[in-house]
Amino acid sequence: MTSDASPQSIQSAKAAVESLAAVLGGGALPDTLASGDDPAAALLHDGGVARAVVGRLRGAGSGVGNDGLCRWLYDAFQSNLPELQLAVLRFVPALAGVYMSRAVSRKQLAGFEAVLLALYAHAAAQRGAGEPETVALPNLANPSVYHDAKVPPKTKAAELDVAVLSPALEPHGTMRATRRARIVGAVLELYHGKLALMPISSKLDFCEFCVAWAGNRSKLDDKPRIAAPASSEPDGGGAAAATEEKWRRVPLPWELFQPAMRIVAHCLLGPTGSDELKAQAARAAECLYWRAAETMDARALLATRSLVRLSQMMEEPIPEPSFSGGVENMAELEAMRANILSTKN
Amino acid sequence: MASEAEEGGEVHTTEMTTDDSPPSIVEEKEEKVVSTEGEIVKTSDGNAQESGSSSLPEGLSLNYEEARALLGRLEFQKGNVEAALCVFDGIDLQAAIQRFQPSLADKTPSKKGQPKSESPRSGTQNPATLVLEAIYLKSLSLQKLGKSTEAANQCKSVLDSVESMFQNGPPNIEQKLQETVNKSVELLPEAWKQAGSHQEALASYRCALLSQWNLDEECCTRIQKRFAAFLLYSSVEGSPPNLASQVEGSFVPKNNIEEAILLLMIVLKKWYQGKTHWDPSVMEHLTYALSLCDQPYVLAKHIEEVLPGIYPRTERWYTLALCYYAVGQKEDALNFLRKSLNKHENPNDIMALLLATKICSEERHLSSEGVEYARRAIIHTKSSDAHMKSMGLHFLGNCLGKKSKIVSSDHQRSLLQSETLKSFTESIALDRHNPDLIFDMGVEYAEQRNMNAALRCAKEFIDATGGSVSKGWRLLALVLSAQQRYPEAEVATNAALDETAKWDQGSLLSLKAKLKVAQSSPMEAVEAYRALLALVQAQKNSSGSCKANVEDDSVSEFEIWQGLANLYSGLSYWRDADICLQKARALKSYSAATLHAEGYMLEAREQNKEALAAYVNAFSIELEHVPSKVAIGALLCKQGPKYLPAARCFLSDALRIEPTNRMAWLHLGKVHKNDGRIADAADCFQASVMLEESDPVESFKSLS
Repeated sequence: MTSDASPQSIQSAKAAVESLAAVLGGGALPDTLASGDDPAAALLHDGGVARAVVGRLRGAGSGVGNDGLCRWLYDAFQSNLPELQLAVLRFVPALAGVYMSRAVSRKQLAGFEAVLLALYAHAAAQRGAGEPETVALPNLANPSVYHDAKVPPKTKAAELDVAVLSPALEPHGTMRATRRARIVGAVLELYHGKLALMPISSKLDFCEFCVAWAGNRSKLDDKPRIAAPASSEPDGGGAAAATEEKWRRVPLPWELFQPAMRIVAHCLLGPTGSDELKAQAARAAECLYWRAAETMDARALLATRSLVRLSQMMEEPIPEPSFSGGVENMAELEAMRANILSTKN
Repeated sequence: MASEAEEGGEVHTTEMTTDDSPPSIVEEKEEKVVSTEGEIVKTSDGNAQESGSSSLPEGLSLNYEEARALLGRLEFQKGNVEAALCVFDGIDLQAAIQRFQPSLADKTPSKKGQPKSESPRSGTQNPATLVLEAIYLKSLSLQKLGKSTEAANQCKSVLDSVESMFQNGPPNIEQKLQETVNKSVELLPEAWKQAGSHQEALASYRCALLSQWNLDEECCTRIQKRFAAFLLYSSVEGSPPNLASQVEGSFVPKNNIEEAILLLMIVLKKWYQGKTHWDPSVMEHLTYALSLCDQPYVLAKHIEEVLPGIYPRTERWYTLALCYYAVGQKEDALNFLRKSLNKHENPNDIMALLLATKICSEERHLSSEGVEYARRAIIHTKSSDAHMKSMGLHFLGNCLGKKSKIVSSDHQRSLLQSETLKSFTESIALDRHNPDLIFDMGVEYAEQRNMNAALRCAKEFIDATGGSVSKGWRLLALVLSAQQRYPEAEVATNAALDETAKWDQGSLLSLKAKLKVAQSSPMEAVEAYRALLALVQAQKNSSGSCKANVEDDSVSEFEIWQGLANLYSGLSYWRDADICLQKARALKSYSAATLHAEGYMLEAREQNKEALAAYVNAFSIELEHVPSKVAIGALLCKQGPKYLPAARCFLSDALRIEPTNRMAWLHLGKVHKNDGRIADAADCFQASVMLEESDPVESFKSLS
């Protein structure tokens, strides 16, 4: 990505970093950030930036109409530079997490809403107007690229069932309370699409908020602790972290539950290789399971139960190469030596 | 030649013994090999090439590469991964492959004629096999040391070599080489995955499954399982597989989830056919994927296909119950649970009990059964598990509330009603953050005409959900309307309309129209109905794809015409009412509500006989249609003393179904009065007056 970036986009990214530094105030960002080769990638991956921005997003009074940081996120996303957009998406967990928890208390959060609506509009445009995301369920009676069907395909293939994974995204210019879950859900779907590129700290943020959203403790930790902020080091956003507010439980209709669960599933079972993330995700999955149990929402129960079970299963290891027993190896070696000797003579 | 071979052989011995350590390779230490490594490679480079070219035709002696391969394998076998790596590092795969290629080409045809056992050296293998295995082991070692990218590259070179070696003609690979190929094919995607190169991982998974590697079934299954999991959880945006040679009618997955589901189904099918062993994770992955797509029915079919002996039957029944409940087949779901909760099976399974309770709480006729399940669940929940207990009490409350509506005696009803509230209260004490619980309690209060408490619950629910759930607003407006606070109810409705997207405003607009009717502003009511009609028309015109999500919370066109007809007939605009009724009838031929409205109009025109016929028809269509029973009662009451017992009968029946129907009480009072039972009449009138003061514009039943 570094080499592909045009000088123009590097310039814009630099400008974005500088304006972010201005928003966050002196000393919050390392000076080296803007001067690097790839400022956009630094924005995405730099731990200091993440702490500062997330700290600010979580801080009291964030997300109001004149919040400079929200304005920055909005502008950075609207720049239409893919690298910068990724850097903005990195903060979706904190953004959506804080927003949903506070929106329940019906606070004025025009800043958050502007960013979320921009992300939603992007998702809707990407998908195409009125297009639901569908999944055609395979029918094994038809042959596929991976298998042959016993019966030779008739002139007409057996009917496929089509499932709707995500309904069409209608245009929304304002954040109405009853559509809030759908909008944030669609933003999470957008984030989910880029998960492979997201740093682990961002995913950890999400799992933490997911636990808070679900609103009940995992049966694993019996200690009554509220979702302890995993990454709230007293640094950058330290002042905010000190007065950490308790994130409220939020309504989780399927349209929000499903994308949240997909992200948790990625953290839990995807190729991330972080044990900390896996542990957090396991907790989030369990909280989601108990949340689904509250209303006996069967599909949510089935899905989360499977996630919890899978997290407890051992992954089947790649089989080690099979060698014959130790003695035979020695024999082999002897044979090799003997061979050498025989050729000598 | 002999000397060359000897030199080749001595390379190891010197390598292994230079540091005056014991002669056996087995005891060789890693560090020493590491230290001497570079040197050896340099000194022996020339030799190796010579020996390779000269010794191979006879296929008898070991050359430098093979020796290294063997030694490295020994080290690997002992677990000295790093040492093995050092030995393997000296192998020049490209050079080796180039040398092997002609020899292989020569060998392949000859092999066909000869039986395999005739190989001149029984203990040793094809040199290419040996070297390729070495490279595979090298790749595996790198992988173990966390150098995944290098590992992937090495592994890929093995596969590339194999491909180039066998590009002409069908591969006639000896077993050992096939094993190496299998393992490399399996290792490659894992190495890419671990290296974070997800696109390469995706490509190599597909290549593994779609190319002709002649993999054995188990290996292929493992790759399919891992690939399915990768597709489900990696969030990698992959292009779907495209094959130039597509069989017609062949299924080509369009996205990751489709591909994952396809693979999982194939693996399951292999298991059904006995080609592979059972792996519980496959079913869990499939459950997750199908639930994600909201396809529990398909899932149920797969679970039913699982052979007995895999899942304990009670667990299978519970899972099936979940599936069938999710598709709305409540009876089937409950039957599975009944089997599972049988005293000979698993009668105290809490989750199954809770699910059974939940299902029963949704159907009146099952409510008694539900109460039993709920009680059992509560008893068997550990006292420490407040959350579970709270769930049990919540569902118990729902069942009791439903049950209170079907019992015949007043005494039982009031008993059940107070029990309902009690279990809700206990449940809330254990879990005060569950908005659904608060909502259900609010509805129960409202139905019991405790409007102040209901109002409190409605407000609390809206606070807890941030006003994001439409039914909360409707409860608030209805409770306010029941308190005759119409302007406030309208404010609540307008606030709800503000928070609702145009598309979903149907039920709120209909509520608004009814509020206008209640406030005797018919023109505004008509206006509200008009807006509603426009909305429904727009929904109808929009594409069928959106239909699914519009349906659940919207008002049907029929209801609008029906509402308008009632409005006009209330104003005695008979012609308009008639037109509306015709429209309604065109949409739904046999409806109790339409017939009732018809009867009402006939009655107003003094056509009592026809009116009575219409009312009777109405309740023949819908046995529990309260308004027509009340109307019949009222009509009979006017017909003279000999009809009074019949009238009383109809009215009592109406009150049995809906004890809070004030019109029924009113007319029953009249019957009593006409019959001379003044005290009874007074009681009925009083009840009617009291109920009038707490009558919502729409039944609370419409909420749930």
